[in-house]
Amino acid sequence: MIAYAMNLATLIAINAILAITLNFIMGYAGIFSLAHALFFGVGAYTAAWIAMHVTGDFFLTVSAAALVASLLSLALALPALRVREVYFVAASLGLQVLGTTVFAEWKSVTGGIGGVIGIPPAELFGVPISDPYAFLALALACLALVIAVTYALVRSSFGRSLTAIRDSESAAAAYGKNVALIKTLAVVVSSALCALGGALYAFYLSFINVESFGLDTSILLMAMVIIGGTGTVLGPIIGTVLLLLLPAGLSYLSFLPHTEIGSIQQMIYGLAMVVLMIFRPGGLVGARSLGERK
Amino acid sequence: MLFLQLLVNGIQVGALYALTAVGFSLIFGSTRIFHVAHGATFTLAGYVFYELYSVAGAPWIAALAVATAGAGIFGVLVDRFVYAPIQRHEGSFFTVFVASFGITIVVQNLVGTAFGRGFVSISSPLSRSVELAPGLYAPPTAAISVLAAVVCFVGLHFFLTRTHIGMALRALSENPDLVRVFGLDPRRLSSYAFALGSLLVVPGALLTGATAGLSPALGNHVMLISLAATIVGGVGSLRGAACGGLLLGLAENLALWQLDPQWSEAVTFVVLFLFIVFRPAGFFGRVATQ
Repeated sequence: MIAYAMNLATLIAINAILAITLNFIMGYAGIFSLAHALFFGVGAYTAAWIAMHVTGDFFLTVSAAALVASLLSLALALPALRVREVYFVAASLGLQVLGTTVFAEWKSVTGGIGGVIGIPPAELFGVPISDPYAFLALALACLALVIAVTYALVRSSFGRSLTAIRDSESAAAAYGKNVALIKTLAVVVSSALCALGGALYAFYLSFINVESFGLDTSILLMAMVIIGGTGTVLGPIIGTVLLLLLPAGLSYLSFLPHTEIGSIQQMIYGLAMVVLMIFRPGGLVGARSLGERK
Repeated sequence: MLFLQLLVNGIQVGALYALTAVGFSLIFGSTRIFHVAHGATFTLAGYVFYELYSVAGAPWIAALAVATAGAGIFGVLVDRFVYAPIQRHEGSFFTVFVASFGITIVVQNLVGTAFGRGFVSISSPLSRSVELAPGLYAPPTAAISVLAAVVCFVGLHFFLTRTHIGMALRALSENPDLVRVFGLDPRRLSSYAFALGSLLVVPGALLTGATAGLSPALGNHVMLISLAATIVGGVGSLRGAACGGLLLGLAENLALWQLDPQWSEAVTFVVLFLFIVFRPAGFFGRVATQ
């Protein structure tokens, strides 16, 4: 029972990192990316590769993962600078589908559909972190770091520029803000921190495959942010906890067939998205309406 | 010969993509609603027909009528009970998009629970391939797909240019405020757009069921293709969406000539991505994207 709770807590910490970094571009910069799981995957595969071929040092693997993810995130920043709304959602979808195909086909690095097996535990100052308590502590420390970094950024002048761009790009440009640079930085920071979540995930499970990094994950992450509350600090965390506790809670209801729990979970969050958008578009935490108003 | 075979397959798939994409584009162009649940309409129509025709053994014409009515009603209901309330208090693109996505997720899982997650196929003598030339095979459904697409496009063209509702729909896509000033009700027109756009998925859903088979996740693929075709063709242009759909169907199949099948979807999205970055207005688009 304890082990089960520990496992759930670690997964919640990792997913909360992903949701918070997605919220950073979605809620504050108005960049509605459906490709977030792609950077999660890039982080996980990079960390796995470095850990297996170079060094298991946590700081080095995470830095490498963040670096690769931030370079690749320029591919997402490019359409974000040029187009908005439908066009951007479509471009991010395209990237996600392309990324999933590469994950499944680049067999020498990603192991194809079979995935990467036997990733060694992360080492912190030479000590391998294989104890689940120690790993949970590490994951929570990373989560705290991500919350602190995003919170500080949002409160800074950079964060204010971001929200200004979200609410009116031309007004921000007229005030002399370098819109292109600020947007690109937002995407890079978000993807780099997301890769940290990916690295943690790879070390935690010691096995990764393409199924964790597909469009379904991107949609789940988006649902976490939206249900919790876009553009709020607490929202993505609450959304993550709710959506991850949902399957755990459902499995206690013995009258539900076990094989259907996954789809019942999805139906519930799908329905929650519809109902929230009709009655409370700001999500559970946020009271305001989303993005720019007509 | 392989190339010719792929060309024939591509035309068949492309014709069906074109129809579905035009439905999506019609809805998006006239109401500005990003109706990703269009894919869900496609899945529903396909499964309703499968249930009635292949499982319950109803005559095909009755099953077709029910599937058609079902698609239209589903589209209108989603517009009335989900999009209309959202647009009443706010209209942000993203709110509507998320709600629509939620519907897609719910429908996909309902269908998966009811019919299983695997492929089902509508078996009919028409889906058996005939040898057209030595080594070149095509089922009669290929001809039916092209025919259905042509008939629907001609019908749609006359509807949009000759009837009052059609002209009002075109006006709505040009200037909603002027439509309101003129005394027409944009909400009612929106229902017409949804009914009409949703009806256009029916041939695609049935013929895909008869050839490639149906699966609950098919809706996502259809939605992605419709979206891609609409953008490649140019938002607001039905002709563009039709060309875009045909082009993507061809690209997806012709890619098999050189690449492994698992790359065909990626090819579609590389094309889409390049269009968005370098020519967001598409082939026939006039609408600014910023």
